Order: sequence, then C-alpha cells, then structure tokens
Amino acid sequence: MTLTDFVNFLVKNSKTIMEYSENHFTLVLLAVGISLLIWVPVGLLLTKSDKWAARVLALANTIFCIPSLSMFAILVTIPMFGLGRKSALLALVLYAMMPLIRSVYDGVKNVDRNVIEAARGMGMSTKRILVEILVPLGMPIIFAGFRITVVMTTGIAAIATYIGERNLGRFIQEGLVRSNTPMMVTGALIISIIAIGLDTILGMIEKRIVPKGLRVSR
Amino acid sequence: MIELEQITKQYPGQAMPAVDKLYLSIPKGEICVLVGPSGCGKSTILRMINRMIEPTSGVVKINGQDVTSTNPDQLRMGIGYVIQQIGLLPHRTIAENIAIVPRLYKWPKEKIKQRVDELIVMMGLDLEKTRGKYPSQLSGGQMQRVGVARAMAVDPPIMLMDEPFGAVDPIARTHLQDELLRLQKEIKKTIVFVTHDINEAIKMGDRIAIFNAGQLVQFGTPEEILTNPINEFVEDFIGRDRVVKKLNLYLAEDAMQPIKCLLREDELQNVAQKMKDAGAEVAFLVNETGKASGQISAGDVAEFGMDIEGLRKRARRRSNAFVQTTTPFPDALSLLLEYDADYLGVLKGEELCGVLSFQGIRKHVYRKEGE
Repeated sequence: MTLTDFVNFLVKNSKTIMEYSENHFTLVLLAVGISLLIWVPVGLLLTKSDKWAARVLALANTIFCIPSLSMFAILVTIPMFGLGRKSALLALVLYAMMPLIRSVYDGVKNVDRNVIEAARGMGMSTKRILVEILVPLGMPIIFAGFRITVVMTTGIAAIATYIGERNLGRFIQEGLVRSNTPMMVTGALIISIIAIGLDTILGMIEKRIVPKGLRVSR
Repeated sequence: MIELEQITKQYPGQAMPAVDKLYLSIPKGEICVLVGPSGCGKSTILRMINRMIEPTSGVVKINGQDVTSTNPDQLRMGIGYVIQQIGLLPHRTIAENIAIVPRLYKWPKEKIKQRVDELIVMMGLDLEKTRGKYPSQLSGGQMQRVGVARAMAVDPPIMLMDEPFGAVDPIARTHLQDELLRLQKEIKKTIVFVTHDINEAIKMGDRIAIFNAGQLVQFGTPEEILTNPINEFVEDFIGRDRVVKKLNLYLAEDAMQPIKCLLREDELQNVAQKMKDAGAEVAFLVNETGKASGQISAGDVAEFGMDIEGLRKRARRRSNAFVQTTTPFPDALSLLLEYDADYLGVLKGEELCGVLSFQGIRKHVYRKEGE
C-alpha cells in the first residue's frame, strides 16, 4: 500500500466513512449514556450495603470476563435482541457495568469517614452529603472509571459489526476478508483517533471537574 | 442544661453495655469534661446527645426537651460538633468550611461572610491569608482552629467536643486549650468535652465526670475530685501526684498576702531597721520609676549585714522573681525554686500588690486538702 492508495480510498469512500463514523459515534454515545444512567445510581446504592456490593461487583466482574465476540454471539441468540443495535447496546452497557459501578463504589467508599462524620454532626442531610461531599470527593476515582469506560466502549463497538452494526469496525472486518489494506487501515486509524480523541477531551474535562482543593498542595 | 436519664447503650454482640443506666446532669454555661480510659463509653455518651448514636433505652433532654422530638438534622444544626480528626471538607476553602452550618440555616450571603471573617479573626488566624486557602494548606493546629470556628459559626448554645485537641502537637494543644478557656469566659457555652487525658480534664473542666466500663464513677469539680477521689480507680486514674496536679487549680492571688515592707533602692541602707519595724520577713525594692526591681529577705539581711553592695546585688539577682496575680501555682513554684527564694512579689500588671510565699502555697493547698 502506498500513501496514494490510502488517500484515494479516503476520497472515494468519504461518504461511507462519514456514515460509519457517525454510526460508531452514536452507538458509543448511546451506550455510555445509558450506562451512566443505570450504573452510577447502582454504584451509589451499593455503598449502602456491603453485602449487596460484594454480590453485584462479583456479577459485574464475571460479565466483564466474557470475551466480546462470545457476548455478541450469545445475545444474538436471544430472540428479543437478535442481530443489530439492541444486542450491540446491551452488550456495551453490560461491559460498562464493571468499570462504572466499581469506580463509583470505590470513589464514594474512599471518602474520608471523618469528613462524613463531621458533616453529619453539623446537621447536613444524607442527600446533601451525597451531592456536596461524596460525589465531588469521589470524583477523581469515578472519572477515571468513566474514561476507561468510554475508551473501552469505543473499541468493543467496532466488534459489533459482526452482528450487523454498520460502523468503522466494518472497514476492518471487510478489509481483512478482501485483503484491502487501505480499507483496513482507514477503519483501524479512525477508531484509534476517536478513542484517543475522546480520552483527551475527557482528560481536559477531568481537570476542570475535580475539585480544586484536592489538587492544591501545601 | 443537658440531662441524661437512665441512658443505656447496648451494642449488638457485646456482653457488656457500652453505657449502663447513666444519669448525668450537665449545667448550663459550663465546660463538663467526660474522661476515662479508652472504651469507657465517653464518646458514645457524647454522640448520644446529638443523636449520632441512639441510646438503647433512656432519655436525653436538652433544656427539658427530649432530643428525639426534633429531627436529627435540625437538632445537630443547633449543636456545635468538633471531632479529633476535624473532618474539614478538603474540596472547600476555609471560609466555605466555616460557612457550612450558616448555609444550612440559609443565612443571607452578606451575613455569612461577615460571620466567617469574624470567626477567622476570633480564632487568631490571618484573615486575608486563611480565607481562601484549602484545608491541606494548613497545619494541624490551624485546622483545628477552623474546626472550632466552624462549630461556633451559628453561635450554638451547646458545643460537643470529642478529643478536639488530641491530634495536635503539645505546644499547639496548650495554645488551643488556653484560647478555648479565654473564649469560654466571653461566650459561656455549655461545652461537653471528651478526653482521655486527666490533665486536660483538670485544666478545661468546670466539672469532670470520670467513667469506667460504661459507669459514671465520680462527678464533681476538679477540686472535689482531686481532693476526695471516691475510690481506688479514680485515685489511680488521677495518678500519685494528685496534690501536685491540684496546684494547677490555684492562682497566685489565692494565697497572696499584703506587702509589709516596701522601700526605694536608695533607702537600702535602712532595710534592716525598716523590716524590723514592719515585722516583715521580706522587703521589696522599687526603682525611681516606681517599678518593682528586687527583693531582700530577712535571711539576706542576716547574711550581708551592712554590706549594702552585697544586698543590692542579691536584690537585683531576684529582679525577675515576680509573678502575676493570675499565675498558677506550678509556675510560681518553679520560680521560687529557680531563684532559691522563699518569696515572690505578685504583680497586677505593672503594679506590685502582694507577696506569695512558699509557706503560703503550702498552707493554702493543705487547707484545701483538709476541707
């Protein structure tokens, strides 16, 4: 493959590239959005009960161990889901369970007990303690988990091409089958750029969102 | 006034109750120290007052009202709470930390800012430098000052302090104790103070409650407890230097006696006659400006006779053998030993107003001991 081949491929297929990128993006965004809506509250709830935390975290770990290709294969066999977006979304949300729940749980559990004790002793309500203390103080750990989730989801989303998602993973899959190097490289490159780009943006957001007092030193 | 009536706290899975049928009445406007060895239930008792822990049975009343009749958050907002580990919010500035309870009360912004500034100054912290700092930028002593300021933010009538100065270094601790006592003279709060250090209890307490294994062993003023320890446990807990500890309770003015003989430095040659006329054991010298500058004892006169220069030297050597009326006995004793003297001049500010003798201290303590 020469650079010209690669550029030619990009120019000729710009429409498809756009379409696939868009699909990829939407899938990732949807999956991450749904995951946040479900797993963050679950993670917060689990901090209330050590018994349930152990159970749910074990389950999340088990799910996380299933290889993605197997996961997609399994979900496709379930009639309700079948080929397509539903299965893809469900798989991605299930994978996000472990990093999100774990980081929310760890983040909140790691908050200095004395700070909570003092806050309670001053008459702060449970809700206020959650919003004003637990979440901001747990944020560095929670956000680290969130970043991992986003990057991971971007990668696994590519594999969803095997169950009918028309996204950037398709370039890699078809490129491999057809021995079309420019096609393969295009898919691989764009997915990588999206993942790295998202992570960089999130890194910048993290800097703003982590409370200042946690960063200053003497 | 805080009353604990028949309070029992039984933790599940423990054979002995942490607190056992306790009755305790804590008077208004005083510092009541709960003291005892670890695990005696003193912290549990403190935390039952603001419902951080609920008793298994019994009633806690504040000004006659059962605390369970108020919502716990509301109750706690009205009670200052200071813990050993302080628990400042690390992501909030010092000003924001102090403003927590005023914000819960929804005070207007201007009022909050004014109160926060007032408290920072009251706590002896640099206003401009401290206000915008984060807790991690302060020293342990400074952090605990902020902790106390935060607890006093809405001027609650009651403050609960759980080993508040336990984690700061000894010098900072002494400062914090002195300042709290100084503040207390003005603010007259009802303070319940937990410590395991009997010396801190004696220093801080208007009243001391000694606990052991969930039981109240003795309750009384520091003087009562040091004078009449009720049993062997209390005696051991106080230590064998019980009477020496008692010295901390008395100030120079308590055993001060009037000065019988006072002379100017240029009258030194007449010192023997003057002391004899006055029947004094000690004479104090004042310089031209009227400031006390030394002392001559009967022993010195006998030793030097007419050697006026020798007397002058001796007098000058004791030019610092003076205490203030508010100096506690131990410091006065230390000075007596340092100058190998039997007498100290007692000053009120700059003015000489009495004499404190070794014998006077002994008699005062003995009389109190015999009460």
